[in-house]
Amino acid sequence: MTSTYVATAGEREKRGGKKPDLVESDRMRAENSLGRKLVVPAIVVMLIVTAFPMLRALYLSLFTYSLTAPEDREFVGLSNYLTALTDPLFWRDTGVTVLYMLVTVAVELVIGFAFAMVMHRVIFARGVIRTSILIPYGIITVVSGFAWQFAFSYQNGFVNGWLPFLDSDFNWFGESTPAIIAIMISEIWKTTPFMSLLLLAGLAQVSEDMLEAAQVDGATWWQRLWKVILPNMRAAIMVAVLFRALDAYRIFDNIAVMTAGAVNTESISFLTYRQTIEQFQLGIGSALSVLLFLSVLLIAWLIVKLFKVDLAAARQEG
Amino acid sequence: MTQPSYATAPGARRRRRGRGLAAVAIGVLAAGLLSACSGDSGKPVLNWYVNPDGVTTLTELAKQCSTDDYDIEIQLLPSGATDQRTQLARRLAAKDGSTDLMSLDPVFVAEFANAGWLEPLPEDVAATATDEDVLEGAADTVTWDDKVYAFPQWANTQVLWYRKSLAEAGGLDMAKPVTWEQVIDAAAEGGGTVGVQANKYEAYVVWINALVQGAGGNIITDNEAGKDASVDIDSEAGAAAATVIQKLARSEAAQPDLTTSNEGTSLGLMFGDSPGEFMTNWTFVYKNYEGLIESGDITQEDFDDLGWARYPATVEGEESKPPIGGIDIGVGAYSKHRDFALEAGECVTTSEAQVQLAVNEGLMPARASAYDAPELTEAYPADLLELFRTSIDSGGPRPKSAYYATISAALQSVWHSPRSVDPDKTPGESAKFLKDVLEGKALL
Amino acid sequence: MRKVGTLLGTLLILVWCLLPVAWIISLSFKSQTAITNGSPGFFPSGGDGAGWQNYKDVLDNEQFRRAIFNSIGISLIATLLSVIVATLAAYAIARLEFRGKKFVLTMALAIAMFPVVSLVGPLFDMWRTFGLYDTWPGLIIPYMSFTLPLAIWTLSAFFREIPWELEQAAQVDGATPWQAFRKVIVPLAAPGVFTAAILTFFFAWNDFVFGISLTSTESARPIPAALSFFVGADPFNRPASLLAAGAVVSTIPIIIIVLIFQRKIVAGLTSGAVKG
Repeated sequence: MTSTYVATAGEREKRGGKKPDLVESDRMRAENSLGRKLVVPAIVVMLIVTAFPMLRALYLSLFTYSLTAPEDREFVGLSNYLTALTDPLFWRDTGVTVLYMLVTVAVELVIGFAFAMVMHRVIFARGVIRTSILIPYGIITVVSGFAWQFAFSYQNGFVNGWLPFLDSDFNWFGESTPAIIAIMISEIWKTTPFMSLLLLAGLAQVSEDMLEAAQVDGATWWQRLWKVILPNMRAAIMVAVLFRALDAYRIFDNIAVMTAGAVNTESISFLTYRQTIEQFQLGIGSALSVLLFLSVLLIAWLIVKLFKVDLAAARQEG
Repeated sequence: MTQPSYATAPGARRRRRGRGLAAVAIGVLAAGLLSACSGDSGKPVLNWYVNPDGVTTLTELAKQCSTDDYDIEIQLLPSGATDQRTQLARRLAAKDGSTDLMSLDPVFVAEFANAGWLEPLPEDVAATATDEDVLEGAADTVTWDDKVYAFPQWANTQVLWYRKSLAEAGGLDMAKPVTWEQVIDAAAEGGGTVGVQANKYEAYVVWINALVQGAGGNIITDNEAGKDASVDIDSEAGAAAATVIQKLARSEAAQPDLTTSNEGTSLGLMFGDSPGEFMTNWTFVYKNYEGLIESGDITQEDFDDLGWARYPATVEGEESKPPIGGIDIGVGAYSKHRDFALEAGECVTTSEAQVQLAVNEGLMPARASAYDAPELTEAYPADLLELFRTSIDSGGPRPKSAYYATISAALQSVWHSPRSVDPDKTPGESAKFLKDVLEGKALL
Repeated sequence: MRKVGTLLGTLLILVWCLLPVAWIISLSFKSQTAITNGSPGFFPSGGDGAGWQNYKDVLDNEQFRRAIFNSIGISLIATLLSVIVATLAAYAIARLEFRGKKFVLTMALAIAMFPVVSLVGPLFDMWRTFGLYDTWPGLIIPYMSFTLPLAIWTLSAFFREIPWELEQAAQVDGATPWQAFRKVIVPLAAPGVFTAAILTFFFAWNDFVFGISLTSTESARPIPAALSFFVGADPFNRPASLLAAGAVVSTIPIIIIVLIFQRKIVAGLTSGAVKG
């Protein structure tokens, strides 16, 4: 499938390439300037909220600076980074965050793929399925967090009653492991539809001819899945994984609502939030912000490199 | 008090549910309309940020204390103490001119005063705000660096609530001061439980602090040194506190949700089919249970079985230090109407205002004279009122420090979960962690 | 066999998607007393039902009403502005050759990945300096920034598919440029613009981090933040059933949008994200 992408992209290049030959350079210059004028507002809005605060975070991260004791502000160089990187809490939270990311993305990929297969096949009630699958996607994450928190509550929930191997007063949020599981379930429930829709788009691009040919050749269902469907969906899968992994790494809402970071369920985003917004430690908080940003970049880079996702190719295809 | 909001659950929590919310809504709405009218006449409006505790009476007070010169409008803060502090601090850090009056948890007075966010009271006003009549525990919470920064509005304290029949079954003589050890053993013996607040939040620190002080120690001393305060929790007293927590966590008397328990979770375990419980909790408990008779949730007989005693001692022979809470009224340093706000602050904290809060909402007065008000002596048994008053007067406040929020969070982080508390390790670990955090060497 | 599998799969999807929704609706009908006393189980059991009381209480609550008003206002304005800005940019990207095109696309991609939390600290600091803290614009601006990437992608994907030659053809046939644009291009572009608008609206409606960090009163606090601060008559525990009623109310707009536009959203999600 990737090769198809590239081919179409190539065609487009060619088509686009013809233009300059046909028109005089004045027209080109006008187009160039109009193009820039049209994108300027978008660039400005995107930069106000990202570039400037990020630069400010870089600057503040070199100080000890607490809003509640502003006169104690002091330049400390890189020592905030040193503190963070040598701190067990930072690494514990990073570990927990990576765990959230790996588990939720893996589970979502499997369930999302199954859903996509069903949606691809189904010929009846498409509207109903589409509507219901969009509800978790559209629902507020905070609401999803509440719904699951109450569902797991032993006082007012139903989960303990439905799971025969649990005591009716089992406290899901009293310990780390069950609390993390509960948070993951809320996260998975809310985001699987997104995953399945991305995969559905990928499935639609797998050629039916190839599948039929494989069936004629006597390939089992399993073989067709692994040899035909999945390889042909690689681009879609990788884009979905990239998006969701980066999203999952930034997990915040569910944790804030369900445990507020208690019993070691805190993610790196939540740690950063607590430092800057709750503790008013703008210095170390900014250092954490920068580290969080770098780790997101690192993950994006890893996924792109490891799985050779060709985003540019995927883009041009649109 | 910790979760000031929590301390009231005004009167009867089950009974008042829907009505309470409606009242809040109407109150806020009324305040909104009021301000809308006053906006036309150009009369200044003072914003009073209140925790959602006794809002009906606070709205009433706001109305009573509005004058020809200004109107007071209520603004509601979120329910948790930590959230309340965050919301207020963010406004004040933004030098907000419309934060005129605020209801503050006493533990945050020092931090806010140190940051320059609170207007110090002028000497004459300060003298009245902390005169002889104000209970010592309460007066102490509003002073920082030799100045007075707020008006004590009401005071809170914890006592030991228990089922008389359970104490009997457990063979505990409640006429004498009891220790935590005795309470836990008696509860286990009688088939009951012990209710505390041990979720990872402010009230857990209330418990730890009371235990440490009850053993004659302190979490920190030399508080004025701010970051350089001396951390003293790694001591015999710290170990004694950890011993109590460990004992309860390992005891049969521990409640199933010990690690997520709060002021509300153990209320339901007092009566019903079980043998009941011992519970350390704030003053609101009495009105709460009294209200349940009317709604039919408990019987008069049940209620008569409710007993109260001074907060348990950490170690035998040492007098306990009951927790102190309540609300102080501070004036925003950036307020555009500071003089009006000071006047209004004085008005909403008078002895009469305190009686109103006590009678309507179960929020105990910070002034001794208010305890003698006939409305109050009618509403509460005399020995209970006396217990409240002495507890507040001789209670142990949490550390007064500009870094209190940090200290509290650091303690919570090491001491939670209660099941992991170990007298040999926890105090030492928390002392080291607290020092590192204060020096900026560790993340919190 | 295959049919049975698909049918089972369909049922599974429906249960997966709707069970928690059904749960939160069911919870919203449990009475507040039942919640305090503990009322385990999926449905309100005998005597625990509250009828519409929770909904009445929630809608009577001034703070919640303000939050709905804020959320609708802020989300709509952010959506409108974001779509306008994104349409301009997407048109340029899809139709024009200019230097810096790649830069715009890369930047949009980078911003889509940006960890929102790492911005709120400095943003809070900036907003309090500019006086944008706790105001509508203080939320509208960040919502625009973070929805622009998705909107630009979705729209440029749609715009590429538009046969722009038709516009010229119409002009040749005697239509004015404006008529050609309005009668030919607008109908073709509208679905894309709609999709981008819906996705932007979802983002703004869902946001929590900015909502709790950049506001402090009901003057700008949106629904998710208001829900998380919601206080019932029982200050100890979250008023589960009241919150559930609030949650249901906050989900109604989403369900309406989904019901009307499900086809477009699916198309937009798949084209916007996978293809570009």
